[in-house]
Amino acid sequence: MVQIDRSGDPLGDILNGKPAQTRPGWLVQLPLPFWAVAFLLLIMPLIANNFWLFQVFGWSFILGMIALSLMFLAGYGGMVSLIQMSVAGLAGYMVAILGTSGMAEISLNWPWWLNIPVAIGIAALFGTIVGALAVRTEGIYTIMITLAVAAAFFYFTRQNYGIFNGYTGFNRVLPPPLFGVNWRDPVPFYYLTLGCAALSLAAVTYVARSPFGLALQGVRDGPRRMAALGFNVTAHRIAAYTFASVIAAVGGILLVWQNSQISPGTVGIPVVIDILVIAVVGGVKRPIGPFIGAVIYVLLRTFSPDVLTAFGLSTERFKTLIGLGFVLIVFFSPDGVLGLWERWQARRHKRRDPLGDGGTP
Amino acid sequence: MRGFVSRNPVWSAVIVLGLAILLWLILSPWTSDMEALLGRKRLFLNALFGGITLGALYFLVASGFTLIFGLMRNVNLAHGSLYLLGGYIGFEVSERSGSWLLAFPVSFVIVAIVGMILQNQVFRRMEGEELRQTLVTIGLSVVLADLMLWWWGGQSYTIQTPDWLSGPAQVPIVVGVNRAGEATYLSYPAVRIAILLAAIVIGVLMWLVLNRSRLGMLIRAGVDDREMLAASGVRIQWVFLAVFGFGAGLAGIGGIVGGTFQSLTPGEDTRFLLASLVVVIVGGMGSIPGAALGAVIIGISEQMGLVYAPTYSVVFTFLIMVAVLAFRPQGLLGRTR
Amino acid sequence: MTTTDPRSLSSVASGNALELRGVTKLFGALAAISDVTFSVRPGERRAVLGSNGAGKTTLFNCITGDFLPTSGTIRLFGEDVTTFPAHERIRRGLRRTYQISLLFGGLSVADNVYIACRGVSRARFSLLRPRRSDPLTARAAELMEAVRLTEVQDTLVSELSYGQQRQLEIALALAGAPRFILFDEPAAGLSPTERRDLVAILNGLPGHIGYIIIEHDMDVALRVAESVTMMHNGRVFKEGTPAEIESDPEVQELYLGDGSHSHG
Repeated sequence: MVQIDRSGDPLGDILNGKPAQTRPGWLVQLPLPFWAVAFLLLIMPLIANNFWLFQVFGWSFILGMIALSLMFLAGYGGMVSLIQMSVAGLAGYMVAILGTSGMAEISLNWPWWLNIPVAIGIAALFGTIVGALAVRTEGIYTIMITLAVAAAFFYFTRQNYGIFNGYTGFNRVLPPPLFGVNWRDPVPFYYLTLGCAALSLAAVTYVARSPFGLALQGVRDGPRRMAALGFNVTAHRIAAYTFASVIAAVGGILLVWQNSQISPGTVGIPVVIDILVIAVVGGVKRPIGPFIGAVIYVLLRTFSPDVLTAFGLSTERFKTLIGLGFVLIVFFSPDGVLGLWERWQARRHKRRDPLGDGGTP
Repeated sequence: MRGFVSRNPVWSAVIVLGLAILLWLILSPWTSDMEALLGRKRLFLNALFGGITLGALYFLVASGFTLIFGLMRNVNLAHGSLYLLGGYIGFEVSERSGSWLLAFPVSFVIVAIVGMILQNQVFRRMEGEELRQTLVTIGLSVVLADLMLWWWGGQSYTIQTPDWLSGPAQVPIVVGVNRAGEATYLSYPAVRIAILLAAIVIGVLMWLVLNRSRLGMLIRAGVDDREMLAASGVRIQWVFLAVFGFGAGLAGIGGIVGGTFQSLTPGEDTRFLLASLVVVIVGGMGSIPGAALGAVIIGISEQMGLVYAPTYSVVFTFLIMVAVLAFRPQGLLGRTR
Repeated sequence: MTTTDPRSLSSVASGNALELRGVTKLFGALAAISDVTFSVRPGERRAVLGSNGAGKTTLFNCITGDFLPTSGTIRLFGEDVTTFPAHERIRRGLRRTYQISLLFGGLSVADNVYIACRGVSRARFSLLRPRRSDPLTARAAELMEAVRLTEVQDTLVSELSYGQQRQLEIALALAGAPRFILFDEPAAGLSPTERRDLVAILNGLPGHIGYIIIEHDMDVALRVAESVTMMHNGRVFKEGTPAEIESDPEVQELYLGDGSHSHG
């Protein structure tokens, strides 16, 4: 059989779905750097201090998950949805409202095994409904509609005191002390977020090559053709929102636990845009992209104040920095830093091996 | 118009009935039953007229947005930033020169130039890539917001209403009957009436230019079929530049208006971007009459919401948008593609 | 996967595979097709002829659900499908090929056919990856055999010759259990040899599959069709057997006078 290298081609993924028939299992050809990074992440608590574990890595994993849900919709479905942060925020709010928080008048004190699944369910339902609205129009309208809904959600949480407790929101929202562990301690929290992030990354990678994922990519590239093949284009798009929303919801719950509070600011427009920035800067073609974007974002966010102060600027100018970086990335590398990296790799390959053996993966 | 009536007799009847009820609510004196249900008539009328004025402001901002979108398929998410920039510039000009009117041309021109630079230096480099263009506008809005915060700080500014426009004006609408049996009339800030009139004038002018001039013909042709316009030998880049500048300038003027009867603070850019989005989604993407209709609907619903259900007022706006998307995804006056 | 649809029995009994009544499609003020009425029996093979702009492709788009007709009804195997979305009609056994290729160019031939088989299978939404013994793979192989593309099954579609792409279009239309197929100018741009292959493929289709073929090439059309509908300016102009149409003086005048032989 002729082996054709389609790794660079977005649609190549559709083909790569089939080799599951010829290649065993799903531990297929994970490259060495992957194992190196995995090992490093696993032993990280031996190396890094608590600040890094909790604030830098924990936060990166959480933002990465929320951005991953955006990447799934944008990269595989061709729908740039800005609702993912609101879905995450709603899940966070729901955990605070259904579970335990400092707002005893509102919180219902349900046990964790009930409030977490219900919170995820409600958030996924919300994401699905917004998705169903957004897919009624095409292409660029998706951004407008989801941004409008995200903004409406923000204003609503700020305005509404009966459910969302308005401006103040909820504080003292803590993870359940399961197995006697305080999951907000840096090391447990690090592993909790690492585990969730790894699971969602694996889920997205796996689903991308399932019949559903393949069809979604087909819908992205040729909706008319897919309909003519019997695929329900709308249903595939809406289902993609549901799937992405579940990932975003888990991220949102982790985010509430990390901050131990949630308020309208958590779902404000700047944050909604940050999630987009993270996904785009990392690259929306590959599931790993959003996590790379998240690490860059968190590092910038954490350490840019020092740099800015050194240049005699206010720490507020951090936003200009992020915004300009984003504009530059969109300008020069539509595939994000991952795209830059791949291009650089390709160039280096070519230079080292002018005859080129097609590039070994 | 006649086509619409014959094609949708039921909807036409509903619309006519709704308008009739509204007119009756405005013109008739209210009975005590009605006051029990809807509160004082003054309250209702204030919300209604406040909504219409707000709608006028939304129209100023959103019409530029929809014009740019209709012609270039560019969702300019920095439109809110242009609004706020126009407002700040208008504030500076009117403070320094003492002339409220002077602020308008200055702000229009400066913001239009900013818009044209954006079009020429940014969007032209990514022609045909709608998504990338939109992403860039998001990045620019973040940068612009931060730079404006840097320059003007976090405090709130209000542009002084000129003397000849301050104070109330009487509107010949009966609010109630006083003890002496004389009808009392609604009084309403003169500046708001001026804004409403200005928005109507601008809207009518835009409509005239679009429908009666050669430039308008080109723009409409471009909205329908950009390839055709490009193929017809027209210097399409000039049309794009002109429309982008005009749309941006309108947002700038909107900033002055907003700064006069509301205030200018960081965050207003997002609010007006959102308003533009909702207005355009409801009214129909790329349609100027749609923007007018959407603006009035959203303006009224917001004000009514604030009066009658303060903690849920956003929900009204949101529900209107959802209903439109569900039943008429191309917007009320939008065209099916 | 070839489960017999209970509807099919009753609808076959009721008569027609496809029935159009007064179908009209306006684009603005322009009528692309107006008041088109005709019906096709199950298994019947019909050619739709007409010059460019006669409304043939618009007709197809209305039948498949790419456009909703402005007025009129479309019945498929007795069922009114006028407002059904495209994929619902596909599930009722309707298929079509496209004049402009909408194939997935970045995929191999085998993958295109595999996706097509997926489209009408139950597990469209499956989140689990296919297992090795996927029956759809075997079905895809059969289809490629039928349209003589087995040798190039691992080639990217974008690297196929034009004629092969046309053949692949036909394979996609045959995926699942088609009962009625719309062929949109399948012979356009083909070499004489490829045309012969095409005629053989069409004539080799199982007898229960009916189709409508839009074709400029009279030779091809008349060799694969048992009845002909002639369209002109969006209206049905003449109906009859190939022989009747060929000998009709009005048709001859229209068809020759139109300069459509420049296509041949």
